[in-house]
Amino acid sequence: MDPLKPADAKPMGREGVAQSSTSAAPVIPSPAPVTPAAPSRDVAPLIAELGLTEDHAAEPTALVTPGDLHRAAQALKDHGFMLMDTVGIDYSTYTEPRPKRFAVLHNLYHPRDHRRLFLRVWLDDGETLPSLYPIWRAANYLEREVYDLLGVTFTGHPDLRKVLTPDDLEGHPLRKDFPLGETPTLFRDGRHLDPAAFRAGLTGRDAGLTGYRGELRRGRGEDRLPPVMPEGGPK
Amino acid sequence: MTTTDKPGTGQHGADQPRRPAPTHGAQAPGGTLAPEQMQPDHQESTSAERLHGQTEGQMHTQIMSLNVGPQHPSTHGVLRLVVDMDGEYVVKVTPHMGYLHTGFEKTFENRTYQQGVTYAPRTDYLHSFGHELAYVLSVEKLLQADVPERATTVRVILHELGRIHSHLVFVGTGLLDLGALTPFFYAFREKEALQDLFEAVCGYRMNQGYFRVGGLYRDIPDDWAPRVEKFLDQMERGVTEYTTLFAQNPIFLDRARGVGVIPPEVAIDLGLTGPNLRASGVPLDHRKDNPYCGYESYDFNVITSTDGDSLARFNMRLLEFGESIKIVRQALRRLKPGPVKDPNRKISLPPRHELETSMEAVIHHFKLVTEGFHPPTGEVYVPVESARGEVGYYIVSDGGSMPYRVKIRAPSFVNLQALEYACVGAQFADLITILATIDPVLGDVDR
Repeated sequence: MDPLKPADAKPMGREGVAQSSTSAAPVIPSPAPVTPAAPSRDVAPLIAELGLTEDHAAEPTALVTPGDLHRAAQALKDHGFMLMDTVGIDYSTYTEPRPKRFAVLHNLYHPRDHRRLFLRVWLDDGETLPSLYPIWRAANYLEREVYDLLGVTFTGHPDLRKVLTPDDLEGHPLRKDFPLGETPTLFRDGRHLDPAAFRAGLTGRDAGLTGYRGELRRGRGEDRLPPVMPEGGPK
Repeated sequence: MTTTDKPGTGQHGADQPRRPAPTHGAQAPGGTLAPEQMQPDHQESTSAERLHGQTEGQMHTQIMSLNVGPQHPSTHGVLRLVVDMDGEYVVKVTPHMGYLHTGFEKTFENRTYQQGVTYAPRTDYLHSFGHELAYVLSVEKLLQADVPERATTVRVILHELGRIHSHLVFVGTGLLDLGALTPFFYAFREKEALQDLFEAVCGYRMNQGYFRVGGLYRDIPDDWAPRVEKFLDQMERGVTEYTTLFAQNPIFLDRARGVGVIPPEVAIDLGLTGPNLRASGVPLDHRKDNPYCGYESYDFNVITSTDGDSLARFNMRLLEFGESIKIVRQALRRLKPGPVKDPNRKISLPPRHELETSMEAVIHHFKLVTEGFHPPTGEVYVPVESARGEVGYYIVSDGGSMPYRVKIRAPSFVNLQALEYACVGAQFADLITILATIDPVLGDVDR
């Protein structure tokens, strides 16, 4: 045992020196790449059963074509999945090439056996995808939000209206080409909100433009009267 | 169907004359658009569209549209409901959201990851720590950051105290809507004590922004843990007090029992989460089912009920106080001294004293403050159980120092869909009860 010890210790010592010198060389280590989480609740068999292709992502994701979405969603609903969320993404300025401009992800979750699956649909400008409202009523507001903020149209949605932005806002704010910063915000019929004038209105020294309607602050103009109930009651 | 190019409709466009100057009368409907300016995708709808042409009620009366809000005490924020009524009975509820829409998701895309912590708590301002935690956990999953144990334990404590804070507001204001004024003062007595604790730990009473990617902003004060203990004793007495005060109150029971029943299959169909889903009998709680921050090692129960009515949703929150208190007590016992930040200098700011001696620390500090860190490309989602349900941040990273896209899974937004279901056929007074027990936070709805 004793003669073995120094023999063991020497290579270990060398290795240790070599390791410390190499690890000291890169002062800025690159961040570790994202690896898929340990599949404790594996959805791979489910994806295979539905005949979908698995997307290589950190979260369990399956790729679906717009034409196939209804069938896949119905099968997942029959398995007991619920619709948690609908995510719309505009990939037009993404660093890596993507198949199409938009992606709509349906976040599905099984409330009993706790599997989670994202259904990813790729879409180009002008393409539509079927609404999941006939399958899950949760899709109602979620798809309205994606429509409102990204301008993706869901066919078969019973009430596809704006849900978050003002009625007369032009454009879809979460698109990457939506103007930001000092660019005036555009509304219908040529009205616009000038950022500088808006800030001036905030101080109270100037009438400014205090809302998206672009009217004078109440009390400054002569033609401003308090709002009245329209004939026939509120709409 | 984009709104920009629809020349055929003739509703708007270059040839459309500008809207006439506002005049008094029907031309200026004060807050709504003139009917000729309404587009098919606008939030406004006519009663004929909502009711598919139905005008006669079953009570041989005209269906009347009633506008509730956006400034109405029972909406707890700025929510506008257009309620179509047949006599005293509700035929259809159409919520109009967006009054608090501030574009947080767009703002996230133009701020560094660490700055994003400022915006996350402002969505759900009653359980801020839930949103903060969900955001921070998602970014940490992207970075594979190593969070020290003390930071995780403090996060659990604050996450649960935040849940108590949110439920206290629910109990106080929910009963206020039903006409019971006293419980409001009892609940806000505890809420003030709780906000003192939040203030002691990070300086803010609301919208804390205390968590950081990789840990916490700073360590908790020395006397904080005993103060929390003291608060928990006060809170336990408070819960007993609330229960004896109104859990048996006949007026309250009359207004809540059997009102707004949501069966479990409907709750799943509507995407409900949190106490609203558990009140319908589905025991889904991400603290148990998808544990984060070491929740699997805490001993607590998931409260469920099978009634699914407003009373069940109410009692759910009362019982959850006890479970949160249990978790905080266990977490306080585990609190050991140690670091509260990831030691990785690429994520956490170096300690102040190092800046005076180490050039490398200065460089790290400068890079982190001006540019921030660059997580690898990828898309992550971590669900967290907030007081309202599942909160999750779907974060897309393109390798830059700002997120490419952040999508907030806001539980209030989805839960609000239950209002349209549960109110139909109920009386108008029940609508207030149902809205109170669904417990939406409008900041969370509109983001």
